[in-house]
Order: sequence, then C-alpha cells, then structure tokens
Amino acid sequence: MIKKLSIATFILIAAVPVLLGLGYALMYSLGLTGILSEGFTTTHWEETLSTATFWKSLGFSLYIALVVMLISLFFSLWIVISWIKQLNKGSLSYITYLPLAFPAIVMAFFSFQLLSKSGFISRMVYKMGWIDSLEQFPDWTNDVFGISIIFSLCLLITPFFIILYSNLYQNERIAELKALAITLGAKPSQVIFKVIVPILLKKSAFTIMLFVIFIMGTYEIPLLLGRQNPSMLSVFIVQKLQKFNLADIPQAYAIAVIYILLIASIIALVYKTRPTFFNFSSSS
Amino acid sequence: MKKLIILITILALAACKSDSKNEQLDLKNASWQQIETEAQGKTVNMMMWAGDPKINDYMKNYVATAVKGKYDIDLEISSGQGNTIVQLLMTEMQAGKDGNVDMMWINGETFYQLRQIDGLYGPFVDRLPNSQYVDLDNPFIGKDFQEPIEGMEAPWGNVQMTLIYDSEKTDQLPQSREELLAFAKANPNKFTFDNQFTGLTFMKALLIDIAGGEQALAGDFNEEKYGKYSKELWAYLKKLKPYLWKNGETFPEDVAQMHQLFASGELLMTMSNNDAEVDNKINEGLFPESARAYVPEFGTIQNSHYLGIAKNAVDKAAAMAVINFMISPEAQLKKQNPEVWGDGTVLNLDKLPRDFKAKFQNIPARKYAPKRSEIQENALQELAPEYMIRLAEDFRKEIING
Repeated sequence: MIKKLSIATFILIAAVPVLLGLGYALMYSLGLTGILSEGFTTTHWEETLSTATFWKSLGFSLYIALVVMLISLFFSLWIVISWIKQLNKGSLSYITYLPLAFPAIVMAFFSFQLLSKSGFISRMVYKMGWIDSLEQFPDWTNDVFGISIIFSLCLLITPFFIILYSNLYQNERIAELKALAITLGAKPSQVIFKVIVPILLKKSAFTIMLFVIFIMGTYEIPLLLGRQNPSMLSVFIVQKLQKFNLADIPQAYAIAVIYILLIASIIALVYKTRPTFFNFSSSS
Repeated sequence: MKKLIILITILALAACKSDSKNEQLDLKNASWQQIETEAQGKTVNMMMWAGDPKINDYMKNYVATAVKGKYDIDLEISSGQGNTIVQLLMTEMQAGKDGNVDMMWINGETFYQLRQIDGLYGPFVDRLPNSQYVDLDNPFIGKDFQEPIEGMEAPWGNVQMTLIYDSEKTDQLPQSREELLAFAKANPNKFTFDNQFTGLTFMKALLIDIAGGEQALAGDFNEEKYGKYSKELWAYLKKLKPYLWKNGETFPEDVAQMHQLFASGELLMTMSNNDAEVDNKINEGLFPESARAYVPEFGTIQNSHYLGIAKNAVDKAAAMAVINFMISPEAQLKKQNPEVWGDGTVLNLDKLPRDFKAKFQNIPARKYAPKRSEIQENALQELAPEYMIRLAEDFRKEIING
C-alpha cells in the first residue's frame, strides 16, 4: 500500500505536470489552444522544420554539449585518478567543489568579467605588454565558437563529475583492481586506460547522456555569453516566446515539442538497442 | 492502476477549476468616495520592471508607504515586465481564474499586446480625480505607440532616449546618420546597440530619419512605407555593421550589458530610454563622472510609460486608488526629483495648483543629463506597434543572420 502511494505521489508530482505541460505545448503549437488561436493548423510546425535557424541552433546546442562533456570528463577523470586521496579532505576538496555553489547566472557574469576584451585576463595581458591595446585581445565572449559558454559550463559541471567519479572509485573498488592489474604486470598507462577509465565511463554512461541533454537546454549562460546567431536552443525558444510578436508563441511551443520529441526518440532508441545502458543500479 | 489514473485525473481537474469571482462594487457607476471606501484595507499586487534600485526604492519606501497610510492598502510589488505580464494574463484568462496581478507598469508594446488579448480593465482613467492634471492632449502622453489610450491605461511618466558618452574620450558627437557611420569607422568595435527594446527604439529613430522626419511614418502601420524605408535602413546598418562591436556579428543582449561595456571602456557609447539614466548611473558609481548624455539632431523617440489594471484583477477599486495616488502632483513631484528617480512628469503644469507648479519648477536640475526643454525639439513620437514587430523580425533576418 505504501509502495503504491509512493508511486502515485511520484507520478502526481513528477510525471503529470511534465506530461500536462507537453500536451499543452503540443496543443498550442497546433493552434488548438491559446487566446489568439484560430483553430487547428500545422503552419507553425512547417515553419519551424523549414527554418535553417532552428537546425543551426540545435546543432550549436549539441556542439556545446559535446565539447563541454568531453572537457569536463577529461578533467574530472584526471583529477580523480591523480588526487583521489586528497579529494576527500583538505583544501583541494574545498576548491574543487566551490563552483557547485555558484548559480549559473553568477558563473556567467564571472566568466564575462574574466574573459571579455575589457576583462581581467585582457587587462593582465595588456599590463604585461603582450598586447598594445585591449582591442587586440581575442574574442572569448559572445564569440562564434562559444568559448566562454564552454568555459562556464565546464566550471559548473566538472565538480559534479569529480564527486561522481570519486564515489564510483570507492564503490567499484578501483584501488583494488588497480593493485591487481599492477600485480599482473600492467603498465601505469594500461591501468588507467584499460582498467580505471573504462569502468568509470561505463558506470556513468547514463549520467553523461542526461548531462548532455541538460547542457543542451541551459539558458542563462548562453543568454549572456552567447551570440544571437547561432544561439543555443533555449535562447532561441525564449526569443520566440517573449519577443514582441504574440503570433510567434505557437512556433516557440513547436520548437520545444520538436526538441523534446527528438530527445525522447534518442532515449527510446538507446533503450531499445542497448537496455543495459539504463542499468545503473550499481553505478552510485 | 486504473484507480490511480482516475484519482490523478480528478486531482488535476480539481486544480484547474476556476475560482469563484468575488462580489465587487459596480465601479462604472460608483462615486470616487465609494471607490476609496471599497479600496480600504485591500492588498494590491503590482507587477513592474524592478531593475533599478532607485525606482524600487521610490515604489517600496514612498508609494507603498503612502497608500498604506492613506487607504490601508498593502502594495505588493513583484518583478516582471512586457511579455511576462502578457503571458501571465493570457494563462490566467484561459484558465478563467482571478488575476494574481491587479495593476502593472506597461509600455507601448505591452499595451498593444494586452489590447490584442483584451487583458486590460477600463476605461478607468477619467474616474481618477487626479487625471484632471494629466497632459492628455500631449501626443507623447495621450497616445501610446500611435494608439489613443482611451482611458485604458493611466500615463505615469515620460522619458526620451539619449545616447550616453564619456566627455573625456569623445568630443565629436555624431549628429546625423552619416556622422554616426564616420564615428563608427573612426572607432571600430566601440559602438553598438542592444538586441532588445532600447536597440529597436534606436532603429525606429533611424527609420523615421530615413523616411524624412517626424510625420513621415505617423499614424497606422503602412506596409508600403515600411517596405521602402526599411530597405534603406538595412542598407545603412549593413554599412555600419563591420565597424560595430564584435563586427556587428552579435549584439549585447540588453542595455544593462551595454552599460557594463561602456563602464569598462569596451564601448564609447551606451544608450538609454530614460534621459535621466546618466545621472542615476553616475550616482550609483557605475559610470564615470565625465559621462554625459545627448540627443543627436536626427532625433530620438520620446515615449511615456503607463499604469494598467488587469481585466481579471481582484481588487480593481484598490488598484484605482493606488494609480490615482501615483499620478497625483505630490507623487509625480517626488518622482521627478533626480535624486529620487528623475522620471519626467505626465502632468500639465499649467493645470496644477500654483504652489505645485512652483515646486515642479524648482526641482533641482539634473547634473549630467541635458535639460528636457533642450532635447524636446529632437523628440520623435513612437511609431505604430507593427513597426516594432517587423523591425525586430527583419533585424534578425537582415543583420543578425544576414
């Protein structure tokens, strides 16, 4: 009985609002609801799917998510493998986890003050005489490659993976496996690349996928540090949703629904082809 | 499991059920005294842009305190503007619910959108005793984005866009489009405009200038004129683009970011829809004391901001009492003081009692912003809202994506 009640509460709190929201967005995008709706239409879907900006935005979001994930994984694995003992206590753990306390918007402002042409690094470089004027400092904010977006997101996400991997390191008894591998004659590089990294990555694969989705939907950081073209998907949706033309609102909902359907399809595909991917009961 | 689904559905439907409407006074036929009595002891929820500490201070520590003392009204202020207000009202109206917001600070584009969704209560302005002092014959006040306000919103303040520069770094101020282009060429990457309301307001001034001056685009939206003059505008902006900040490939997301860039020296100019902004930002310590503001000879848009009452507001009488106070001579006088906010009044000084007229004339002058009387001659009226919608869309197509 308690189990059923728990499931009901979970569905009521977590699943129902999301499904209702998705249903509302779908109806809005098809002109079935909304104060200015004029009845069923597929126009907003057609416009969205035929707009290059939408696909560009989707591609840019995916690019940012993958690059951030790669960099964060590299640094988190490196830090955990190199300093697993120090991570559990002392100043290193404090410094490593500090960025977790930063809200995204604060991190965005921090990066802006640090990386912009008139920012801290630019001024330091100028003072040292490496550049003749601040304008010569390269474009690291609002730039075409999303450098400052990637920088900020890496700072936010890497500590999370450090925590995850340091826990996995203990739970999966990596230290013992490492000792065993060395005993069997493995070189240090083989221990890392044939034993530790594959175990940690395999155990965190589902979390990595969720974080890629999470990064693709991030808003505040690309809003401040990104460009209008290409913009990340969340910024693109809000542009449509909150600009001056109320007639654009159904298109914003259409973009959101398409994005959710794409993500859901990918998850479903992975689930169908590799069900073990979702078996993460022993991963934490 | 079926029982579970039925239970969840019932709970979800119960959550969507609309609240019962409160019994209210017939405001259209009630006397002002009855309205004031009805307003006593109520709570008024006001939604407004809350991005300026001075404005917040004026609202929380002056207006809220005054209406509490006068009517025992609790004025609750929440942050939100433009589309947030419109989206909220749309959702509430669709759900058939009483409003969470009774009154709001609105500008032209929001007024247009709220009228599109029929989200405003009114006409109510002529019911307010203090509306007798409002300068409704002034087209900068009585019309909002070329649309007569028809009592659906009460004028609250009046401002004009200015360009802000550092007098120690810039002495040759561009006065025409040609001079602006030359200025940008001479100072590459040092000039831009934002991707929001302020940037669009700046582009509207350029469009009016291209079209031949103030009256050229007056009245309703004209597709033919827009097509003709906007082409010239995009051609001009494309010439300007390579010399803009970041080569015009991206634009600051809002005016706050532009102010930061100006303060750090990355831009030589910023801009504001509030002509008193330069004083405010110097007093806050963000801008250097050498910052000044000016209006180029091709002109800038002057517009008013307004107070509206939501159609589904619970306490309309109390909202009316608050708005009546906010357009009173005493509240407007306080607001116009540069040390308080510096917002231009919407009152016609000639209609005011003599003592108040004198007080308005003796308000301490702004230190760094130009006098209102000096910039008035280059004031341009707002265009019909469709111009803004089209400019926003085409700016993205022609300049950002172009």
